[in-house]
Amino acid sequence: MLVSRGEDLGDIRIDVPYQLITVLSGLYPWVTEGKIAVLCRRCDEKALAEIIKRGLMDEKRIVKIGLACTKEQIAECRCADPVPSEVHIGEQGRPVEKDELMEKLLKLSSEERLKFWVAQFRKCNKCFGCTISCPVCFCDECVLEERTFVAEQGIPPGLSFHLIRAFHMSDKCIECGECERCCPGDIPLLTFRKMMARDMKDLHGFVPGDAKTISPLLTTLEDELLEGECDER
Amino acid sequence: MTGFNPTILAFCCNWCSYAGADLAGVSRLQMPPNVHVVRVMCSASVKPEYVFKAISQGIDGVLVLGCHIGDCHYMTGNHRTAKRIPVVRKAIHDLGIDERRVHLDWVSAAEGEKFQKVVTEFVNDIKKLGPNPLRGVRF
Repeated sequence: MLVSRGEDLGDIRIDVPYQLITVLSGLYPWVTEGKIAVLCRRCDEKALAEIIKRGLMDEKRIVKIGLACTKEQIAECRCADPVPSEVHIGEQGRPVEKDELMEKLLKLSSEERLKFWVAQFRKCNKCFGCTISCPVCFCDECVLEERTFVAEQGIPPGLSFHLIRAFHMSDKCIECGECERCCPGDIPLLTFRKMMARDMKDLHGFVPGDAKTISPLLTTLEDELLEGECDER
Repeated sequence: MTGFNPTILAFCCNWCSYAGADLAGVSRLQMPPNVHVVRVMCSASVKPEYVFKAISQGIDGVLVLGCHIGDCHYMTGNHRTAKRIPVVRKAIHDLGIDERRVHLDWVSAAEGEKFQKVVTEFVNDIKKLGPNPLRGVRF
């Protein structure tokens, strides 16, 4: 719902059924004056940090209204970091430390894990819901739409689709769980993201969602910023 | 497993590893014939997408070979490779494919023998691992 100054809020919803930062990204180029206020859960805040870090939005133009997630929302996302830096609405919830599916999958042998994921990814009908709803999916041209990497026709698209997405999200996924919620096939995508996030932490000690840290994939081994030899974000 | 001949893709960078492979050939070093060499300008131009596509289409192993750190023709290209290939390995591990199927190594233009060693060892490792489980999977 969009409101401007002086309008009646009516019965505004604060349960946030969409990824608001994705909505904001679509809106941002069209609102050229003034400031934009946006309800920010902790994950939205982290998504904004990732976007601002890449110079896609001006931090000064955005007013964040801190929104604490409810217990149900936290449980749904298996969220380990649910409290925004400033809480204006709602009550602080407790984080959930463990993703049970992830724990289960990591205990399985690799054959069984592959069997699980193949069965899950066979449900994919390549609707691109996961990319469209994703707040940190902001390439100008999407490689997943190129037939070089993903077969142009036919569903399911194969594993390369999901592997490429997992890699692209590895240094920016803020675990909002929107991909999983909007997936018509109910693929546990958030669990896959959480597995990659854990690997990123183990390998490079990097956690997305902080405006100050640069993605390790964009720096040299001495942690200096790579020069613009290829155009990647 | 007898009779299993793995198909292996080796991305070799133009400036070091491809020349290294050339040297190995010119020196008539013996090595298994399972490797298909793909010449790329830099190991950093091996996008993770290439590796994922190869693996998901049933290639048994992917070798990424580049210049030694500090010797890159493009100064920091292989830094990028060094950072992203471990993530690629983790991604396929999380999916349930053995991460040893993707291997990153540095081979310079003078290291024909190292090229032979890397290829031979990698082929032996893949022979032990068996065929790519995705080879028979139809989507």
